[in-house]
Amino acid sequence: MRTLLLLLLLAAPAVAADPFGKVAAQVNEKCVKIFGAGGFRGATNYSTGVLVSADGHFVTIASQTLDTSELIVHLHDGRRMKAVVLATEPELDIALCYIRLEGKRDILKEPNGLDLAHFDIAEAAKRKPAEAGDWVLAHSNLFEIAMRDEPLSVMQGSITGVSKLHGKRGIFDFPYTGDVYVVDAITNGPGAGGGPLTTRKGELLGLIGREIKNGQSETWINYAIPVFAEVEIKEDKDKLTKVSIPQFVELAKQGKYKTRPKLELGKGPGGYTGIKFVPNVLDRTPPYVDEVTPGSPAAKAGIQVNDLVSFIDGEPIYSIKTYLAVMSRTQPGGTVRMEVRRGDNLQSVEIVLGEWPKGTLKPAAAKPDEKK
Amino acid sequence: MPRLALLPAILVVALAGVARGQDAVNDATEKAMKEAAAKAAPWVCKIETAGGAATIGGPPGGGGGPGGPGGGPPPVRKGSGPTTGLVIARDGYVITSSFNFANKPTDIFVTVPGKERKVAKVIASDTARMLTLLKIDATDLSVPAPFPKAEIRIGQWTLAMGRALDSELVKVPGYSKGIVSAVNRIWGKAVQTDCKVSPVNYGGPLVALDGRVIGVLVPASPNAEGDTAGIEWYDSGIGFAVPLEDVLAVFPRLKGGKDIGRGVLGFNPKEPEEMYNVPVTVGSIAPNSAAAKAELKVGDIITHIDGKPVPHFSALRHTLGPKYEGDEISLTVQRDGKEVKVEKVALGSAAAATFAQPFFGILPMRDDPDPGVEVRYVYPKSPADLAGLKEGDRILKVGAGGPARGPMPPGGGLVPVTGGRAQLGQIVRAAPVNADLKMEVKRKDGGKTETLTVKVGTLNEELPEKLPMPSSKNRALEKPKAPVGPGPKPPADGKKDEEKKEEKKEDDKDEFEKGLLTGLSNKTNGREYWMYLPDNYDKNKSYGVIIWLHAAKPGANEAKDMKKIWEDYCDAANFIIIAPKSKKGEWAATETEEVVTTVREALKPFTIDPTRVVAHGMGIGGSMALYMAFNARDFVRGVAVSGAPLAGNAKDNLPNQPLSFFLIAGNKDPLLKEIQETTDKLKAKKFPLIYREIADFGKQYIDQNTLNELTVWLDSMDRI
Repeated sequence: MRTLLLLLLLAAPAVAADPFGKVAAQVNEKCVKIFGAGGFRGATNYSTGVLVSADGHFVTIASQTLDTSELIVHLHDGRRMKAVVLATEPELDIALCYIRLEGKRDILKEPNGLDLAHFDIAEAAKRKPAEAGDWVLAHSNLFEIAMRDEPLSVMQGSITGVSKLHGKRGIFDFPYTGDVYVVDAITNGPGAGGGPLTTRKGELLGLIGREIKNGQSETWINYAIPVFAEVEIKEDKDKLTKVSIPQFVELAKQGKYKTRPKLELGKGPGGYTGIKFVPNVLDRTPPYVDEVTPGSPAAKAGIQVNDLVSFIDGEPIYSIKTYLAVMSRTQPGGTVRMEVRRGDNLQSVEIVLGEWPKGTLKPAAAKPDEKK
Repeated sequence: MPRLALLPAILVVALAGVARGQDAVNDATEKAMKEAAAKAAPWVCKIETAGGAATIGGPPGGGGGPGGPGGGPPPVRKGSGPTTGLVIARDGYVITSSFNFANKPTDIFVTVPGKERKVAKVIASDTARMLTLLKIDATDLSVPAPFPKAEIRIGQWTLAMGRALDSELVKVPGYSKGIVSAVNRIWGKAVQTDCKVSPVNYGGPLVALDGRVIGVLVPASPNAEGDTAGIEWYDSGIGFAVPLEDVLAVFPRLKGGKDIGRGVLGFNPKEPEEMYNVPVTVGSIAPNSAAAKAELKVGDIITHIDGKPVPHFSALRHTLGPKYEGDEISLTVQRDGKEVKVEKVALGSAAAATFAQPFFGILPMRDDPDPGVEVRYVYPKSPADLAGLKEGDRILKVGAGGPARGPMPPGGGLVPVTGGRAQLGQIVRAAPVNADLKMEVKRKDGGKTETLTVKVGTLNEELPEKLPMPSSKNRALEKPKAPVGPGPKPPADGKKDEEKKEEKKEDDKDEFEKGLLTGLSNKTNGREYWMYLPDNYDKNKSYGVIIWLHAAKPGANEAKDMKKIWEDYCDAANFIIIAPKSKKGEWAATETEEVVTTVREALKPFTIDPTRVVAHGMGIGGSMALYMAFNARDFVRGVAVSGAPLAGNAKDNLPNQPLSFFLIAGNKDPLLKEIQETTDKLKAKKFPLIYREIADFGKQYIDQNTLNELTVWLDSMDRI
């Protein structure tokens, strides 16, 4: 009985049309191959872009490939065109570019008359996000294998997690702070960045990210920034506003998006606890409490000498270094939930952080771990 | 029950596939996968650690890597992020990959989905399968059903599940999908899958479509052992899982709290290079090993294990691979043409089967074609000393009491030593420790001939303060002389060693450029090297070789500086220094083969003493030297390194390919701990080892005292 079923299962693909092929062809028409700056210290000078208007607007990751006045794209039909960057948003790690026809003066005002297949990014952002276990397709010009009218490479995979990568140990400088799609297709090679991650049916899920290593597991990570991504950016002074990918695209198309420098996080020592640790001698000295200043926030919360600080707000603390790094992202007046190991038990305490008393030696904010 | 539940699903998939095309098949398969993942989710827990080292060893410059020939483990920077474990017992036992603790964390926490985070204790490790058993305080946990090993089929869908990316543990974890690529991998211990297996899911389950668990994901390599072996294959499409059935079988033993390792028979095959072509003939037997206890004999041919034929060594390794120490097997051997059955052989531990180098206690005179071996030096309190051997004595004949042993005839007869020190060394190395050897000795200066009995000992670590000179008779190019009178011919491979020198094709010219030379290898794409050939080079003496492997960034004057340190010694003790250069600046393990070829090629014109070929280096060059020695064992006989730890594990000590070590560390070297661990690793394999820790030394090369010792050590490499 089982054998029979197996045979049926195996027979099925042979008689049916291959749906991946059709999807790949459709998606390929909505993408560009990007060629730009790079080449020094092994940086690649090519990447992939996703068309978001019939006119030739396309999005890609904000990589160093774009740092050139001679940006070139190849369309799916082999046409070779020049392009310009209209705006970038470092918090989203995204750039909007525009195909420029020769002879046009004001590229924003004069329509360029192209009529290209493209993704509706606003629609895509409204769709239900993908979840762990969903099958996906990654389309890109990985390793610059395609030129001119040669189609992009398609890789199949599944979503291994929808997870925040930013702020975790070893990847403090991860460009995007929200949830990303982590996939099991190996997309971290050169040239894949900016290509579309789609569902099996060809619906746009996100943009394939850059080549980056996950310091938590010491492995290269394969991820995509979702189309639903949204970040808080600092508009003039201290006013924070939210920007989503479709909003960014819309404003940038009109030339109204102002590219801002990245927000600086975790520069100071953060809030004050009154905990002192054993000397930080090793790369990974465990954060054992050596001393608690009497009357300090930690003393009030009941932290004891020899407690091992194990988690802060659910984030694992591996060493004094991680402790400092995590604390640097806090503020006086804020509250942290600390889990400390005391004997064989974990104790959870809340600490209301204070101002640093005058004359206290403040720790320097820990630098993110060096990468290899 | 889960299996039955799946049948309709498959039916739907299959029929729908025919009716509605591939899309429907995909829809149904994706759904089935998600259901399997949801089923497995409660067993997949998150492991977090604190403390521990940031890196776990690694050979120079990475190297190895996927497809690298016998590539060792690359340097591993161990992430300290969350990892994954699999619940296997309701009362809180969790199995995981030992890789997750390879950096020796001080604290371990486990979170089972839906429960509180708990402090976990390490109960025991299975070093054969790279697994660690943890225990948390818990009751009534949900546990997986194992997918029967016998039903695992190549090509069946699999999901590799991990928790490294989950911060909340409320959702069903994601998976990497793939198929079973092979079964019985890693010498019968693992299932292979093309799912992406990496630190993201090491320790997690490999799940079948019906939700049962095929195995526990681990890094693994058929060529190496240890917690990090195989990590270089992460996300490559080559992933491994230890069958859950096997895990559950060993679980009761692990619960006892004692680490358990692979079962070892304890012999070396006669032809270790022939994995597939020849029957397994016992070449040597480790004392105290299972093979010794089962009274296997050198020369036995092992034909069956547990009634299963083992036509070659590879088959034998496949049969023994899955077994643990303490497991019992039955053996069938061919002995003197008769079939002998040995029942109930309890396999021993790798440590018990470790072979120690037999030692006699003399240094032989070199380059001496006369019959026998002249004694250059007798180690104080060595077996030779205790038996009354003296400097200047000449060993003429050797024999064993009792049955035939290796190259010696049965019945206690004495064989003349006609193959020089190479033959004598071979005989001693093949002798069991504590066995009695008889030798006929002609005393110094025309003294009388006596027969002495020497009890074979093991190599000690004491260095003589000074060695007598000269060390050579300066007759290296003469053929060994046969003894007067009739006698058996020397064994064919006995003399080969000594006079490896090829017949000169060109006329016998002896005019080499001497001193500091530079060269370019032709065979290996022009690898550069420099070389110091003693100014008094004499082809009638055999020369030892110091292969110098430079540190990370050699200075421009490196060759001159080295020459200044070493030239007097090289001239006096007959050594040539050859220093190939790394093509990558920093050594990579993958360069080994080329480097050896370069060195061999460059040394071809000279008279070389194969017993004194030493790999020498500091820092990364030292790590390279260690790596090279273990991977060019037919060539390198010693390793002298400064400030260099060994990556991965030490290989076994082999009687026919001896290796000695001289390790130097500054007590302020940041790598001190790793170097100390290296000495432990080498001692565990019973390698002769001298270790010197220099006070107030960081990453410097060597101090004068240690240098003096090193020169003595180098000059005593041909000890017997």
